Amino acid sequence: MFAPLQSDPVLLPETIARLLFGSEIAIWQEAVAGFLAAFLIANIMLANAGVAGPWAKRKITAAFTDRIAVNRIGPAGLLIIPAAAVQLMAKELIIPDGVDRPAYDLAPILLALSALLGFAVIPMGSIFGINLQMADPETGLAFVFAVASIATLALTMGGYASNNKYSLMGGLRAIAQNIAYEIPLIVTAASVVIFTGTLQTSEIVAQQSEPLVTIAGLTIPSWFAFVNPFAFVLFMVANLAEVGRNPFDIPEAPTEIVAGYMTEYSSIYFVLFYMGEFIHIFLGGAIVATVFLGGPAGPVLPGFIWFIIKIWAVFLFTQWARSAVPRVRIDQLIEIGWKGMLVLSFANLVLTAVIVGVML
Amino acid sequence: MSNEPRDVIRGSTDAQTKTQEARMEGVDNRFNSKLREAFGSSPFILTKFDKFMNWVRGSSMFMLQFGIACCSIEMMHTYAVKHDLDRFGSGVPRASPRQADVMIVPGTIVTKFAPRMKRVYDQMPEPKFVVNMGSCAISGGPFQEGYNVIKGAEEVIPVDIHVPGCPPRPEALIYGVVKMQERIANGESSPVTVKPYELEQFSDLKQDELVDKLASQIDEDDLVMRYNWADSP
Amino acid sequence: MSSYEEQLDTAEGVDYDAIADLLGDRVVRRETHLNAEGFVVRPDQVAESLTLLREEAGFDHLSMVTAQDYEDRYETIYHLTKYADRTHEVSVVVPTDPENPVSESAASVYKTANWHEREAYDLVGVEYDGHPDLRRILLPETWQGHPLSSDYDQDKPQIVQFDEHKNPLEDDHRGADSDTMFLNIGPHHPATHGVLHLKTVLDGEQVADVDPDIGYLHRCEEQMCQQGTYRHQIMPYPDRWDYASAGLLNEWAYARVAEDLNDIEVPEYAQIIRTMSAEFCRIAAHLLAVGTFALDIYGDFTAIFMYAMRDREKVQNILEDLTGQRMMFNYFRLGGVVWDLPEPREEWFENIRDFLDDLPGTLEEYHDLITTNEIFQTRVIGTGVLDPEDAKQFGTTGPVARASGIDYDIRRDDPYGYYDELDWNVVTEEGGDNYARFLVRMQEVEESAKIISQCVDLLEDWPEDERNIQSNVPRTLKPDPDTEVYRAVEGAKGELGIYIRSDGTDKPGRFKIRSPCFCNLSALNAMSKGEYVPDLVATLGSLDVILGEVDR
Repeated sequence: MFAPLQSDPVLLPETIARLLFGSEIAIWQEAVAGFLAAFLIANIMLANAGVAGPWAKRKITAAFTDRIAVNRIGPAGLLIIPAAAVQLMAKELIIPDGVDRPAYDLAPILLALSALLGFAVIPMGSIFGINLQMADPETGLAFVFAVASIATLALTMGGYASNNKYSLMGGLRAIAQNIAYEIPLIVTAASVVIFTGTLQTSEIVAQQSEPLVTIAGLTIPSWFAFVNPFAFVLFMVANLAEVGRNPFDIPEAPTEIVAGYMTEYSSIYFVLFYMGEFIHIFLGGAIVATVFLGGPAGPVLPGFIWFIIKIWAVFLFTQWARSAVPRVRIDQLIEIGWKGMLVLSFANLVLTAVIVGVML
Repeated sequence: MSNEPRDVIRGSTDAQTKTQEARMEGVDNRFNSKLREAFGSSPFILTKFDKFMNWVRGSSMFMLQFGIACCSIEMMHTYAVKHDLDRFGSGVPRASPRQADVMIVPGTIVTKFAPRMKRVYDQMPEPKFVVNMGSCAISGGPFQEGYNVIKGAEEVIPVDIHVPGCPPRPEALIYGVVKMQERIANGESSPVTVKPYELEQFSDLKQDELVDKLASQIDEDDLVMRYNWADSP
Repeated sequence: MSSYEEQLDTAEGVDYDAIADLLGDRVVRRETHLNAEGFVVRPDQVAESLTLLREEAGFDHLSMVTAQDYEDRYETIYHLTKYADRTHEVSVVVPTDPENPVSESAASVYKTANWHEREAYDLVGVEYDGHPDLRRILLPETWQGHPLSSDYDQDKPQIVQFDEHKNPLEDDHRGADSDTMFLNIGPHHPATHGVLHLKTVLDGEQVADVDPDIGYLHRCEEQMCQQGTYRHQIMPYPDRWDYASAGLLNEWAYARVAEDLNDIEVPEYAQIIRTMSAEFCRIAAHLLAVGTFALDIYGDFTAIFMYAMRDREKVQNILEDLTGQRMMFNYFRLGGVVWDLPEPREEWFENIRDFLDDLPGTLEEYHDLITTNEIFQTRVIGTGVLDPEDAKQFGTTGPVARASGIDYDIRRDDPYGYYDELDWNVVTEEGGDNYARFLVRMQEVEESAKIISQCVDLLEDWPEDERNIQSNVPRTLKPDPDTEVYRAVEGAKGELGIYIRSDGTDKPGRFKIRSPCFCNLSALNAMSKGEYVPDLVATLGSLDVILGEVDR
């Protein structure tokens, strides 16, 4: 089919290993480099979530509601980021009576972890000639979806272990929602895989760099958002449900079940949940970017910058939905999921399969 | 620690040394960490760190989404478009008390609600702060003579800032909140709400032991709760 | 309409002699109240008499139940009226023995009597035989004594034994084999709009039963009013009943009843000012209702809530120019208002005109954002349905009743102020669901704007030497002893009524408030049983209860 644009780029751990240990790399050196690479990527994503959580989210919401939001703490209120982070972490950590101890402690860690794990195989483009992809296994896309769905387990654990009825309801809602929307999500992604014929993320990205059409000198690349807009819309909707934002924010549903699964969490655990959610939104954005928006591709700027712009665009979309769209009810959500999204996504899959089978 | 904690906090020149001495003498072991002992009598880094922590606590505040009565309408206006309390970094309402730092008490407290409010306050993690909004929360306000009305939130929970008015205008509430932020940032508002007499009496006990000791003094058979609001100040 | 009912209705109103005939020898004695005749019946014949009045005479609206104690007796008054014609009123007076104050319950005839009688039991101490659930409603279960009875000593401390203070979470697990879950929603919960406590039994996500537990804001409003003098000291308190900036509407309730009691005329100019300012309050209150309802559906402090607050600011600015306060206006006085319109008048009128000109565009924005949003519609259409029969049974009024198709608005049915001179419509919707209630409020904002615009025209052209804002009212008002009157106005939430019995002094002997929210909230159980938790929250939002008014 398509030839990859460039010869296999060097992955991030290898770059680091060469930098540190020269060209001869032992196993342990590779492991150390891997750790360092993971540390770097995780920190980049945490930094993104850190900016998003206490600052960007407030600023964006404020822009939607004619307000200003934080502007007294540092320039444009930016110092609120360290202030909020340290303040929240320095608070008392309350472990309520009767919580299921290991599960209660593990849930927030697991949530943040599952979201971060997903970034291991996302091709984030390169900056200063360094390719920021951690690993590029042939089952890349399957791996992303697999680890991202661990989050459901974390939410359920947190909800169940908190010994609080609101938490329990939030946890149960999270399961129902994620099962109902994970299937359309993956089936829609599968329709893209039919096009590409591979699960390898770098390959999926590479195939999107071919020009689709040229109109008046402007070349539109064959991003799958342009090739199959229907699948793109389906995926965006399912993704909203997956990350739990309006209109599908029912696991958290502030006016109904207080704060859902995180009702009982305070201090650092709350930070982990909060950050985990944001990293999840970014992971959703990263998957959307990789599968539908040509990954880190873009003119002029380095690929990594484009990648960040794309995941922030998806983040902006979720925040917009949060500000403008009402929340659906739990039974309506399930109905939309199983009767609407699932059918549509399978129709999309079959159609794509037929088209690909006939035309290619 | 002396009997006049407020003086210690407000006093101009000798306050610093006094508190240091108090800390070093071991009267109050809870503030007297190993680090402090290691750094000796001029804990430069620690005071800078204290300052930073105070700034942090004063800068970022999560409010408890807590409406009681009339004042809560003005409180909503304070969060909303025109007044926008969020400008000062204190406009994120959290519905769960576990994630809140500041509780604005916006309204009249009555006997049925007082224990619940205490409970909500107890559920908040330290350090926590309370802003009293309006005359009712300060003293019972226009309803002070009512048979069912508690004469001020301070009968139930400790309060940092009172904002008078019936109800206070949003500008007044913003002033109150910002004033409290200032106090916290300057280290004037104690982040730990332990009263001085408790410090003296139980200073050598850890928190859990303290609770145990207090709990053992309670005789469950004859414990009574008195709603004696007539005699209260 | 039954044959009896036709016979009872005459051109002048109710034919009380015919009612006396209808009730026959159940009537012990007749009393005359300022608003209606009172028929004294025996304590064991209450339900029978009320059934007759409801079935045969068409009195389908139990507006309020007042309990009070005299030196020699306890007394319960059932204020009856008709949804079809508010001017038809009758009172049923039930005296009971002071030693053993028990009378028959009316809860089997009117469902709304359930809560009203619980309140009477709680505060005054009359017991109702055959009441389904006679518990305290406003005060804690452990309260000793009945605070509005004359032998209550307020200075005595309330002592509660520890064993009476059970762990509130203990009853949560109702039996091992039970499939339902008990959930406390409130008193501190983001959806309760204050301090309401809903004892909810859930079957999965569905509501199997919900029992509103009120009284977390019971601020002794009736006691406060009974301690104040008619002339000046009572007027500030109504502002604090329905505090959603509906203050002037509440003040009008007191002004109306006190003016009727003391026979005070209000100058026409003052009436127009009252009408206009009260409608501003209605707009502010309805905007808050819209905003918080959207908050319940959207789930966060989103655009629509902020927009509602933004538009409320405009209304509050106009009212602040007029009254000097943003919320607690204290602007009405008996016999008029406290001061004239602010100078320069033209500028103020200009502000109002600007606001009124912007309003259609603003409402269009609301409709674009919420009413026409399909997700919003799937959420609210067909949920929280209150059918007209239930609506009448629970004594609902205001937008809640009008959304159930009940054409009932005191501004038109029992005119006061300047309303009957102006051109406006009563808004009704047929659905009875959350959506209908929302639409009624949105349209009532438009109607209020219409009223205001006409008032502004009138005020602008009013001759300068006839701007009489206040009639002559004596410094001290002492109505004749044992004069009783019950009057209601259309508050933001519905029929806001006040009953006053004078005892010959300058303070009321009994001051009883009929709160529309109290009655509307009692219908919550019927409306939300079998629905989902989010619908319960939405229904509560669309009822638009203000806890200050529910608990008083």
